[in-house]
Amino acid sequence: MLKLLLIDDEEGIRKILAISLGKDGYLVSTAKDGKNGLEVFNREKHSIVLLDIKMPGMDGIEVLKHIKEIHPATEVIIITGHGDMDTAINALKHDASDFINKPIKDEALAIALKRAKERLSIRKKLKEYTEDLEHMVKIATEEVKRRAEFQNKLITISNDGIIATDGWGNIITYNQGAEIIFGHRRNKVIRKMNIADLYPEPIKEEFIQGLHQEIAIDHFLWREISIVSKDGESVPTRFSGSILFEKNEVIGSVGFFRDLREVKRLQQELIKSERLAATGQTVAGLAHYIKNILIGLRGGIYVTNIALAKNNTEKLKSGWSMIERNVNRITDLVLDLLSYSKERKPEFEDCYPNEIAEEVCALLEPKAKENHINIIRDFDDSIGKVSMDSQAIHRILLNLVSNAIDACIFDSSDKKIWAVQINTAREHNHMIRMDVSDNGFGMDEGVKKKLFTSFFSTKGGKGTGLGLLVTQKIIKENGGTISVDSTDGVGSTFTIRLPYRGME
Amino acid sequence: MKVLIVDDDADVRVFVSTVVEENNHTSIVAKNGEEALAKIKEEKPDLVILDVLMPKRSGIKLYRELKTDDSYKKIPIIMLSGIAKRTFLRSQEALTEFGEEGVPEPEAYLEKPVEPEELAETIKETMA
Repeated sequence: MLKLLLIDDEEGIRKILAISLGKDGYLVSTAKDGKNGLEVFNREKHSIVLLDIKMPGMDGIEVLKHIKEIHPATEVIIITGHGDMDTAINALKHDASDFINKPIKDEALAIALKRAKERLSIRKKLKEYTEDLEHMVKIATEEVKRRAEFQNKLITISNDGIIATDGWGNIITYNQGAEIIFGHRRNKVIRKMNIADLYPEPIKEEFIQGLHQEIAIDHFLWREISIVSKDGESVPTRFSGSILFEKNEVIGSVGFFRDLREVKRLQQELIKSERLAATGQTVAGLAHYIKNILIGLRGGIYVTNIALAKNNTEKLKSGWSMIERNVNRITDLVLDLLSYSKERKPEFEDCYPNEIAEEVCALLEPKAKENHINIIRDFDDSIGKVSMDSQAIHRILLNLVSNAIDACIFDSSDKKIWAVQINTAREHNHMIRMDVSDNGFGMDEGVKKKLFTSFFSTKGGKGTGLGLLVTQKIIKENGGTISVDSTDGVGSTFTIRLPYRGME
Repeated sequence: MKVLIVDDDADVRVFVSTVVEENNHTSIVAKNGEEALAKIKEEKPDLVILDVLMPKRSGIKLYRELKTDDSYKKIPIIMLSGIAKRTFLRSQEALTEFGEEGVPEPEAYLEKPVEPEELAETIKETMA
């Protein structure tokens, strides 16, 4: 039921209207003057007020002002004297909703009340809508806030250092991970430092240029860089980053830094323990290998002595060559051990790689022929005089071609015509490529895996397992690469690439 | 007497055949198990001196084949290897455990490096 307040100084009107409005379904209060009316209104907060404008004491306009102050949404219908338009307009100026003339006609009152009710209803709906909308906005805001907090938390707890900047490079995000790597406290960095103060040289430039769009780059791929922390420690990290855009405008940047200290430490430890395990294996393998050399030396001495006693020159040659060969084998072994255990700087000098390859082929040809293996040479004539580590090439090729020959010798197939092929080729970016292929016994996956990782030999007592390790080490020292392609029972191809300087 | 020397190392072949010849025997050589089998068939040696680790039919396999073949099992064999005797015997036991026929121990086993006198002595004892 709508509450209605009737303020009129004429008792007759109050009584009649109260009765008829009560019948129309309003909860009617009455007051005889402005002062009394405001008291009642303050208590009840009526939705509609019928207000006589001409009253003794406080006049209607005053009462209207007060009501609108107390409760602006109240529908105030003014009752004016007939033809008193000025008063009516004045009342409307003060936010009265409507006016009716005295003497009050039922019809006019009914229309005024109907309009007031409609306005009340619209206002109520509007209020509901507004409240709904406010509620929705509140929920949405909370959701946005929750998500932002969630993302913030993700950034905070990330082990990776995350550093974000605005479009000018001022740091606005700097998480715990970043603290651990860079050493600066968050409160000394966020909104106080620029990436120019924090980032190391190479990426600092790239980020600044990226932010200014001097270089068309928006993403920095993963790479390893070293961060010098606040305390001067050099921290290895894996870094990537991005320039951030919104509608083609640069809005900032972000950098991700993964701390590699622990990984590096574990790697070091692993290498150490692998070395130790390998040493044990090597000693056993070496002992066997040395026994074979020893029997060659003893045998050589024996044969030489017999030949001397009998004055047999033919036998003397054979005994002496045994001694020579085994002295060479032990020399090679010692050299291999030394080059495996010591760092060696490549010694660049002018040389002809094809000639070195030919030397190696010629050196090993007798052994190959003895075992019915063809050595095929396919050299790239465009390789001329270059500056390379000629000793390294010699060692590497000698090793790989010997291995290839052994792979044929140890092959138990009886249908193959064995061949070892040596290719040389000049590649772009100043690399010489050499392939050593054989159609010997090949390798299965297990052997391939062990190939470069330990002192591993497929040749029983005839190998030390040092050859490929040394080969790989020399190639690395020379800044080259080695790869292998092999099929069990079919053969193997070793491919090496070595950088060269200058070519005539 | 005819002695077959089987070793993939040329130095060992020259050394052992010199010892054999110095002791007034005839020497023939083979550089792997396959060649050895052919030479045994052809030349019918009175003694085989055999290495263990070789390409193309290892000494482990050849030894087994000879000792389980009625035509050859009587030929005495001296194993001459860098591998310890017990390792060689263990490998033969393993093959037997796998269901292959059991084989007797070799007539003699010498570990490399071997002194010429010891080798000559062993040849003499084995042939006796």
